[in-house]
This record gives sequence, C-alpha cells and structure tokens, in this order.
Amino acid sequence: MDWNVVSANFPLLMRGLGTSLQLAAVVIVLSFPIGCLIAIGRLSRRRWLSAVCAGFVHTLRSNPLVLILFWFYFSVPLIIGRSIDDGASVIVAFVVFFAAYFGEIVRAGVQSVGTRQVQAGLSSGLSYAQTMRYIVLPQAIRSMRPALTTQCIVVFQGTTVAYVIGYHELMHTTSMIAERTVRPVELYSFAAVAYFAVCYAGSLLSRHFEKQA
Amino acid sequence: MTQPIVAIRNVCLDYGGFRALDGVSLDVNVGSRIVICGPSGSGKSTLLRCVNGLEPFQSGEVFVDGVGVRTCKDLPKLRLGVGMVFQHFELYPHLSVLDNVTLAPMKAKGLSRREAEEKARHYLDRVGILDQADKFPARLSGGQQQRAAIARALTLEPKVMMFDEPTSALDPEMIGEVLKVMRDLARDGMTMLVVTHEMGFAREVADEIVFMDKGRIVEHSGVSAFFAAPKTARAREFLDRILLKI
Ligand SMILES: Nc1ncnc2c1ncn2[C@@H]1O[C@H](COP(=O)(O)OP(=O)(O)OP(=O)(O)O)[C@@H](O)[C@H]1O
Ligand SMILES: [Mg+2]
Repeated sequence: MDWNVVSANFPLLMRGLGTSLQLAAVVIVLSFPIGCLIAIGRLSRRRWLSAVCAGFVHTLRSNPLVLILFWFYFSVPLIIGRSIDDGASVIVAFVVFFAAYFGEIVRAGVQSVGTRQVQAGLSSGLSYAQTMRYIVLPQAIRSMRPALTTQCIVVFQGTTVAYVIGYHELMHTTSMIAERTVRPVELYSFAAVAYFAVCYAGSLLSRHFEKQA
Repeated sequence: MTQPIVAIRNVCLDYGGFRALDGVSLDVNVGSRIVICGPSGSGKSTLLRCVNGLEPFQSGEVFVDGVGVRTCKDLPKLRLGVGMVFQHFELYPHLSVLDNVTLAPMKAKGLSRREAEEKARHYLDRVGILDQADKFPARLSGGQQQRAAIARALTLEPKVMMFDEPTSALDPEMIGEVLKVMRDLARDGMTMLVVTHEMGFAREVADEIVFMDKGRIVEHSGVSAFFAAPKTARAREFLDRILLKI
C-alpha cells in the first residue's frame, strides 16, 4: 500500500469530487422543478396532459440511465444534425431522467395533501396554479423531504454514469489516475470513502427529516 | 325586487350513475339566512360545492350575482364573492393564522400586504381571536380554528357566506363560540347559506329552512312553519331524531 499516491493526486481528486457534486447540484436544481410540473400534469383533469406526463414518467423509469445518456450523446446529435457539447448532453440526459423520479415523489406528496385543502384554496378565489403554489406544494414538500433527500443521494451516485462518456467527475478522474499510477486499490478505496462520506451525510439528513415529520 | 344573490336552477348531478342532486332549485335573496338540513348523503355538501363551481354538474345552472357558474370564464373571480367555511376548517397548516387570512386577499384580490393585514386583523378581531394571529393553526383549539376560518372567508368581503356543518367536528364546549360568531354575522345582515343540524341556531337565526333527502329538496318553508309542523313525514322523522339527540 502506498497512500502517497492519494496525497500526491489529492487536488486532482478533489476537483473530480467537486465536478461530481456540481453536476449533481445542477441536475437536482433543474430536474426538481420539472418534476413538479410533471406531477401537476399527471394530476391534471385534462386527460391528454395526464397521459403525456404518465407516458414520460413510465418511459424514463423503464430505461437505464446509461441508455438515456447514450441517447442524448450519440443519437440526438445525429437527429438534429449537429454535435452537442459533452457537458450539455450529460446534463440534459440526467435532468430528463431524474425529473421522472422527482415527478413521482412530488405526485405522491401532492396526493397526500388531499382535495379538501385544494377546495379551500379554490373557494377563496385562488387559481388552480396559485392553490398548488401556495397551499399544496409547500405542504407536499414538507412531507416529501425524506424521500427527496434520498433521491438527491441517488442523483449524486448517478453522476458516476457520466464516466462512460469521459466526463471528468470523480469516478473518471480516479480511474485515470489509477491507470497512470497503477495503484487501483488505494485510489478506488479513496473514491469509496469520498462517496460514502457524501451519501452518508445525506442519509443522516434524510433521517433527520423523517423524525421531524 | 332585486335579483337573488344565488339562484340555483334545476341542478342535476350524477356521480357515474348515482344521482347526488336531482333537480334542485333554490333562491338565496340578499340578507336572507337559509339553513339546509337533511340526512347524511342527501347532497347538502355537494350542493354547496356546485354553488361556487367546485363540482361540475350535468344540467341546470347556478347563478351567482347573475353570473352562470357553468358558463363562467373566470371562476376565481366568482368565488371571491362566495365565502366558504368547511366542517374540518381547512386552515393551511404551514401558514400562521394571519398568513392564512391574508393569502387570498393578496394573491387573488391583489391587495398589498399592508392592506390585507389591516383587513385580516379587523376580521380576526371580529371573531375574537386577534391575539392568536401569529400562531400556527395546530396551536389553536378547534373553536378558534373554525373562527379563524370564518375570518379568512370574511376578509374577502363576500356577498354570501356558505357554511358546511361548521360545528359538527367540534367538541360540545366549543360549538357555542362558533355559533355566536355566526349569529353576530347574521345580525349584521350577512347573507348566509348554512348546512347544519344545530336546530337551536336554525330556529333563532334562519328565516328559511330547506330539508333535503336523496338529492332533492323535499321541504322548503319558513322557520316557524317548519318547526311547528314539518309537511313531510321524512322531515318530521328527521327532526324528531335530531331534537331527541340534543
Ligand atoms: N366525489 C364523489 N364521487 C362519488 N360520489 C360522491 C362524491 N361526493 C359525494 N358523493 C356521494 O354523493 C352523495 C351526497 O354526498 P354529500 O357529501 O353531498 O352528502 P351530505 O348531505 O353532505 O352528507 P353528510 O351529512 O354526510 O355530509 C353521497 O351519497 C355521497 O356518497
Ligand atoms: Mg356533507
């Protein structure tokens, strides 16, 4: 064992971790609101809208993330006839994929608030959108916090999939250094500790929310 | 003769084959207090929900201040004119009492926060819970919660107030304080449509009683006539059962 290889490459590894965290953050910030819209669409009385949103959710939940990524990385440029930036295809693929999962969590949360609160909001002259925005979603989000936190951990773990197209997140960075230094044990151990630290912190937060609820 | 503030015209509503409302007609004139009673499942709540367009119905029409609910393009605006109080209060648990009351005035009516709070405090004072304004609903007693819900509806300054069994989820010792608020409202001339089984309240405050059964209005009379001698056997039976329980 030679842990020097880790300390020698520490700044590089940290940059990889930073990229992973940043990607996860961007994906969460973009896919959560889209998930909210999809949830509202699924609960809509307009049949076609609810069907379109349900189709979207089912399609994405029935496909592996890698495939969605390949789709945006290889297929979409061919279809639209011009190349897309690597980072952009990663972000679009992840956002689309995880929006489906956030959508399902939000839908369950919204349904847990119940129609009587919706009726109270509507009968006071608020529009349906305002009722959602000011009455239903705040309560739904409160009850969804544990599930949302867990989903954020899943997004963070999911960023490793970007490895396959050579995106410089922690997994890719680690494997490159491991290859160059021929020290896979030390380097992958370090990566494991780094992933564990972030995910475990997340699960502590999730448990904290569960206790509050 | 002014037009009724709410005119219900031959409303029929089916829930997938089950007839919840079967040709209901009722006029609510300005300043009148109408109590609706009837056995569980007779369609009382459904009727109130039709009035403010929360429940789509298949035929007939409801006019609120002359505007047809079924053809109305701006239901939120129509609903501003119709205050609604629910059996289970339906305060928003994530907002303070004051924010519960100011939400719709600000977002639906476009009042500034200052204006909305001023009005809110006025009505919270009127229902006697101004001192609870900054608490969350869960910290209030049932009676206080229902009074907050009444203040929330009043702050929109509706033309008519609808109550759906406002006291039936309350402990007996809290019923009185809510009924007192409603009595005061009636005295100040509010037009009221009240679903309740509080016959003492009906006798004292209402000027008309509507008795519903199986989605129909089977009896509609003045208060004294109703209590003296219900015309239908069904209403008599119901009244006996209610009055015996009290
Ligand atoms: N969304 C719905 N779908 C199907 N049936 C419904 C629905 N809402 C109400 N009903 C039915 O319509 C009938 C009338 O219900 P409603 O709630 O208006 O009665 P109610 O007179 O208010 O009774 P209660 O005194 O129990 O409140 C009931 O038989 C009820 O089961
Ligand atoms: Mg009812």
